[in-house]
Amino acid sequence: MYCAFVILNKHVKEIVDVQNKFGGLVIRDPMSTRRPISILEKIEESLERLNEKMEVIIEIQKNSADSQRSAVALPDASLDVMTLLSMPDHLRKTAMAICRCGKATADEIAGQTNRARAVESAYLNQLVLMSYLKKERKGRKAYFFVDNETRS
Amino acid sequence: MNRIIAVHSYKGGTGKTLLSVNLAATFAKNGRKVCVFDLDFRAPSLFAILKAENAEYWCNDYLNNVVEIDKVLVNLSSRVSGNGKFYAALANPATEAMRDMSSKDRKWEMRALGRLLALRESLLKEEKFDYLFFDTSPGLQYSSINAIVASDLVIVATTGDRSDVDGTKRMLQELYNLFEKKTVLVLNKVLDASATARKAEMSAKVKDVYQVPMLGIVPCFCEVLRAEGNFLFPQDKPDHPFTKVLSEMARKIENDEAN
Repeated sequence: MYCAFVILNKHVKEIVDVQNKFGGLVIRDPMSTRRPISILEKIEESLERLNEKMEVIIEIQKNSADSQRSAVALPDASLDVMTLLSMPDHLRKTAMAICRCGKATADEIAGQTNRARAVESAYLNQLVLMSYLKKERKGRKAYFFVDNETRS
Repeated sequence: MNRIIAVHSYKGGTGKTLLSVNLAATFAKNGRKVCVFDLDFRAPSLFAILKAENAEYWCNDYLNNVVEIDKVLVNLSSRVSGNGKFYAALANPATEAMRDMSSKDRKWEMRALGRLLALRESLLKEEKFDYLFFDTSPGLQYSSINAIVASDLVIVATTGDRSDVDGTKRMLQELYNLFEKKTVLVLNKVLDASATARKAEMSAKVKDVYQVPMLGIVPCFCEVLRAEGNFLFPQDKPDHPFTKVLSEMARKIENDEAN
């Protein structure tokens, strides 16, 4: 029992260290103030957040060559079908989903593409940088859309 | 469910319009509410086949944001027996309209894509249409690619012609695959296709060459050519072998079982 407690304590400290590196939530002296169940829940939550961040890093690295090539903002960008055809596959998937939705959050797009929310968020922001999409905030949510002014 | 169906081909003359109209009529005769759209703005032909030359508004007007889609739809349900509903949205055959549509810029095309995508809400959800058929221009045209992007299923009509086979193969790899579109093939105008062995041989060859499921094989019927687009086969020639081929295709689409 004592052994398990020591291992758990060590594991929590490792997580806290990793979180400090990634700028995440810091847990101070967790064993003295919280019950093991809530600590385990925190660990699970933290691991999910770390996984999400790792997925974004892996996905972006995987497509970095394509992304760098296509990340140039265009003065007269329009999200027409020929533009869609010339996009790298990972951005086309996101762009097509936003065309279908009209206006959507990264979470809603992730629901259509079956990719992680954070991955879609990165791609949507990249499309904003390329002037294909606009972004607006409503409270805590960020909505992405094809600009109507550009469309007309 | 595949509710918006684009009918496309690499070359012209492969039978897209005949297939679109008669397949839509088959669904209407089966009690479905359907609409066939003429999106071939370079060479409109649906108005002539359906003998509906006096439309007040055209597909062109809808895409130009002049009117909403309800003003464009022509009700042709009286042409088909049963409880189904058969509508058409026609392309304007005037030379000036064709010239206008061929000179649109990229932003207009982007907006046109938005208008086609909006049909999902206005016709499928609100007006409860079961199927929309987009009859497109052959090859790589803006209007055709817009139709493909807006659709759930692409039916590619092809013939045995060598240049058509090569072009169709390229389009499958470089167009439909990139848009991740579900695609099925119809082999049209096939000679000696009535024998079962010949059908099986053709089917296997198509699967091998194109690597996509087969929706149907349409034999080369002299009566179809002779009809010159004057008949709706499901209604006017219910016992014709072409009508039976269409019924089988409609069944496969309904049951999502093209193979």
